[in-house]
Amino acid sequence: MTTRNLYHSKPAQWAVYGLFFVIIALIPAFVSDGFLLNQFAVYGIYGMLALSISLCWGFGGILNLGQGIAFGLAAYGMAMTMQMQSQDPDSNPIPPFMLNNSLEHLPWFWQPFWSTGGGILLALVVPTLFYVVFGTLMFRARVSGPFFAIMSLAMLSAFATLILDMQPYTNGANGISPPSPLSIFGTDIDPYGPTAYWIVCGGLIAVTVGAKLLTQSKFGLVIQALRGDPERVRFLGYNVALYETCIYAISGFIAALAGCLWVMLIQYVSPAQLDTTFSIGMVIWAGIGGRLSLLGAILGAFLIQGGQSYLGDQFLATWLLVLGAFFIVVVRFLPKGLAGLLEKVLGALARQPGKHARSDLPHAISGAPAAGE
Amino acid sequence: MGVLEIRDLHKSFGGTKVINGFSLDVTELTLCCLVGPNGAGKTTTMDLITGRQKPTSGSIVLRGDDITALSEHEIAQRGIGRKFQVPAVFRELSVRQNFEVAYSREVNPFRNMLRRRPAGFSAKLDEVATLTGLKDRLDVEAGFLSHGETQWLEIGMVLMQNPAILLLDEPVAGMTESEIEKTIVFLNELKRTNTLIVVEHDMGFVRQIADVVTVMHMGAFLAQGKLSDIENDPRVREVYLGEPEV
Repeated sequence: MTTRNLYHSKPAQWAVYGLFFVIIALIPAFVSDGFLLNQFAVYGIYGMLALSISLCWGFGGILNLGQGIAFGLAAYGMAMTMQMQSQDPDSNPIPPFMLNNSLEHLPWFWQPFWSTGGGILLALVVPTLFYVVFGTLMFRARVSGPFFAIMSLAMLSAFATLILDMQPYTNGANGISPPSPLSIFGTDIDPYGPTAYWIVCGGLIAVTVGAKLLTQSKFGLVIQALRGDPERVRFLGYNVALYETCIYAISGFIAALAGCLWVMLIQYVSPAQLDTTFSIGMVIWAGIGGRLSLLGAILGAFLIQGGQSYLGDQFLATWLLVLGAFFIVVVRFLPKGLAGLLEKVLGALARQPGKHARSDLPHAISGAPAAGE
Repeated sequence: MGVLEIRDLHKSFGGTKVINGFSLDVTELTLCCLVGPNGAGKTTTMDLITGRQKPTSGSIVLRGDDITALSEHEIAQRGIGRKFQVPAVFRELSVRQNFEVAYSREVNPFRNMLRRRPAGFSAKLDEVATLTGLKDRLDVEAGFLSHGETQWLEIGMVLMQNPAILLLDEPVAGMTESEIEKTIVFLNELKRTNTLIVVEHDMGFVRQIADVVTVMHMGAFLAQGKLSDIENDPRVREVYLGEPEV
């Protein structure tokens, strides 16, 4: 009775996601240039970050301007792990930058990073746990909307300042550049080789499928409901703060994974990864691509970062103005981003041919449920 | 027997006493209308029962279980469903999805992550959608419903919760005559299997649904009984119906 919009068809959605996965998995077959492959892998990281924003902002309604917290902390954890792979417990236990800062002992919180597995685990768990604690504090106090956005931004700046100030332990503004690539099970992972690309690609596919299933679960539905009216959800018997903390922490975990993989590709981390412009950039990617569509957000990241790499060179200083103008246009005219534009087009196509008989039904124009993707 | 017992409830905002020693017993399978002039504390009482506000003193007991200090979601889980004065539905979700969220047997987020459609949902959906007349509208986005349909959707959502008591705050506010007629039939159907408390201004509407009428005045209990008795009570006439004699 309602006109079916292909955009809302679950099989069609999965088919498009599948096609996207096939395309990104096939890239190494056509790209032999290591530098380019590395750059594509970095876009994959940006895609994961945009997806994490789509989950908490698009679906959960939690505007998070501090996603760099999870990304940055995890990146530091990964860089510490890789740094310690180059040190030797007996002959050379202390990273060079610490010696330059006249440290005589390896600080206690660096000790666990002797173990590669333990180090990576910490890089993922510590930021996620921070999100659980910070989220619980905020959401139980019913901090939401712009107030939460400001809190997350403030927290991000606090972390950036902290890392900058702890020069002897973090190498301050210079950051940490592990001398050699990540080595797992005795093999070095060349950041410019296909293995590194496939690890990122596999990670992106895994988190996308996981996030997609999550949004289609009962949990995902409750999350979307509380985006519109948390009070109503509360009176239906759900612990809203717990649900918000969950989606926030899941989104943080994905950003942490992205942070680990990023350092694997770049072999470097600095407080710039906790810069506010970078975190706000993630929100812009998701906003332009479509915060209510996971794939839309990922493609938004590709589009903007790709644009920055190739057009940014030509526009230089004006690039940020171009981006800002684009963002304003999207927010004003396409609140659901470019994915929302596709939704409108497909909706119009579905209504067009021979539907006059139904035009008297007022609800025919509403299409199928807007949520669910 | 009493499903809900409210004992000596007090609530002050700053120095202003809004609820002043209010007590009420609600009997199983009755429809109790809570009436009173503006500012009598009806909606505040609803807020206190559902945990949106905490009373300054007094107790609220649901089936022998003291719920006074619990938070909103815990009270809802124990079986108090509430329909708001301004209809609150999830406008971006379809009617079906609204009902699905309201079907809150399982509220644990982790178990809900692994679950798509909970057991028993289809049967309950069918029952509630039929009762509220929204069966043909399940795939419509809730934001596109008419005002009356939105009110019924919200009542339906409360029913999906399977509550021990339904609190309805002005369920016919803004409805057309014919929608009110339908709601009267609907509520009379509902009170055969449910216990309800309805806050309402419209005495014509109250007359057609109420088993018991409770009158509040200045945050306190004033009178209780059948509508005919209440209407003849001189104190009620004075505070609520206004004029001393016709």
